[in-house]
Amino acid sequence: MNAIFVLVLGFIVAFIGYRFYAKHIDQKVIKSDPKRVTPAKMYMDGVEFMPTSKNILFGYQFKSIAGAAPIIGPIIAIQWGWLPALVWILGGALFIGWVQDYSSAVIAMRNEGASFGGLSHKLISPRARVILLSFIYFYLLLIAGAFGNVVVSTAIALKAAPMAWLLLTIGGVLAGQMIYRWKKDIILTTIVTVVISLIGIWLGTVLPSDKILGTDLSNSRVVWTLAAFVFCYFAAVLPIWRFALPINYVASYIVFLGLFFGIVGVFIIHPNFTLPAYTSFSIKIGPIWPIMFVTIACGAISGWHSIVSSSGTARQLENEIDARPVGAGVMFVEMMLALFALIIAGTIYASPAEYGAAIVKGPGGIFAGGVAKFLGALGLPANLGRSYGSVMMVVLAITIMQLVIRFMRVATSELLSDISPVFRNAHVGTFIACILGMALVLTGWWQYLWVLFGGANQLMASLALLLMTAWLMSEGKPAAWTFWPMIFMFITTIAALLFTSYSLLQKVLSGAVKGQDLIGNTLMGLVGFFLVIAALVLGWEGFKAFNRFRTIKSQAAAAAKA
Amino acid sequence: MGDEEKQKAGFFQAIKEFIYGVAAHDSARFALKSRASMEHLFILITMGDMLGVPILPPYYSLRLLPYVVPQISTWKRRMLREKDLTDALA
Repeated sequence: MNAIFVLVLGFIVAFIGYRFYAKHIDQKVIKSDPKRVTPAKMYMDGVEFMPTSKNILFGYQFKSIAGAAPIIGPIIAIQWGWLPALVWILGGALFIGWVQDYSSAVIAMRNEGASFGGLSHKLISPRARVILLSFIYFYLLLIAGAFGNVVVSTAIALKAAPMAWLLLTIGGVLAGQMIYRWKKDIILTTIVTVVISLIGIWLGTVLPSDKILGTDLSNSRVVWTLAAFVFCYFAAVLPIWRFALPINYVASYIVFLGLFFGIVGVFIIHPNFTLPAYTSFSIKIGPIWPIMFVTIACGAISGWHSIVSSSGTARQLENEIDARPVGAGVMFVEMMLALFALIIAGTIYASPAEYGAAIVKGPGGIFAGGVAKFLGALGLPANLGRSYGSVMMVVLAITIMQLVIRFMRVATSELLSDISPVFRNAHVGTFIACILGMALVLTGWWQYLWVLFGGANQLMASLALLLMTAWLMSEGKPAAWTFWPMIFMFITTIAALLFTSYSLLQKVLSGAVKGQDLIGNTLMGLVGFFLVIAALVLGWEGFKAFNRFRTIKSQAAAAAKA
Repeated sequence: MGDEEKQKAGFFQAIKEFIYGVAAHDSARFALKSRASMEHLFILITMGDMLGVPILPPYYSLRLLPYVVPQISTWKRRMLREKDLTDALA
């Protein structure tokens, strides 16, 4: 099949989903009302609650949800064949993905801008809030581990990446200094720092890491894991304007220029899929159901989006009718990004054997190869294109990692400061988060780690849908459009996590793994089991809440009859 | 301005806003959060005079008062709002 056909199919699904399904839900079920005052207006505090244009929020939401996951998921999942991956991306986004993103924004918007902690406390039970917070902590740990692995494998597979990453960091820190300290013009700052980053991409091809550090160090997982987590450490403890934000600012130009021109390149080359449409039901990481459904997370559905929609976006919507373009619209754009990644993985290798050899080294190399090919259609030399693709991969992963470590620092302080005041210290919380993340990166096999992250991510999505269903029931609105996606995601993700945790711990108990693999398997297996237990308890609490709302509804109906 | 020109201007405005949203909106939000934290401190200093209870030497805090007054309504909303750990995620 031709890549253009896949993109056109994506546009059609996005059009139908956005124009008909989402519009129907928005107008007939939620009954969004442009005259109703949103929390952004009602509680305008000039900081978090602030009415903002839907175009700005569209960009903000896209930037916040489009990390490395929509790219890596399809690259791994193509091992089952491109057809199942394509069907899941399109079907997942159409029936579940946008539903979750949009409904998370709506539920927060209709509940005075409350975030998930407050909503679970109010709609389900106080215990649900505490379990949700612990769940989120371990979920974030898996993000740090899975994305850390992406950074490390990319830095090892593509020797140009470290130099490009270093200069991007320097450019970002300089951007912070120029904007906030020297008060320089934003356009001048942007040009200077983006040019520095582009020089870094070129310099990476001239001075690859093995030339500077030697073969041993440039291939050492420990070195790049340390580099990634030291980077995150600075991002978590330094003032946010000095490190994390300006680096993200410069990185956003690099990433989105690459994506834009890459998609233009797909249209120019319009390659055919060279990998098989379907391989087999079960591969090394597991069977197609449930494992593929968690391997492709973002792009089809992702719990991370619900967190962004509820805690960030919902408090800035200036009009209720903006929830559809921002919540649902951006999800369909991300679906297109996942299709782009699927096209890369499915078309750049001549045979499954070539792809098999590449995937062993990690998804970063495949993505960079694809970016090089499609930017090559516009005249960029292949080595520069690969360097560009490698820094895009590193940036997409590490921008989310630094956010995650920063939040884990705050969560450590909140959850453990009652035990000892030492946990209030920013360095202690960050150190704990970094050590746990490094342990996962250094000891876990990356494909299992990715599946566990995907499982936790999808489980987060089903918990978001559970909250939405509880709210719809409490309001007496039709809830089937969130209830059935929740049931599907809940069963699928619990099955995926149980399967993966069981496989990991079975190897530990049977003595099949030793040394660092033993630590990695034990750690990942236990985290997986913890997430399953937390989700089951939350599911039970949610079920009790559903019954409560159903009883209230039937009592109200009986009273109305009387 | 004709309809077509208006449409064109609207389109470019939307693109401009989208790029701002992708690249800079997050930075602007965090800058506002930092400013809000400073404001909280500032208002704390002048709180005594606002309530009529002198806490610091009143002359200096009275001089600060005019700068504080415009911020009081949004400050109250920030301080009185119930907060949760998950707020910190975005």
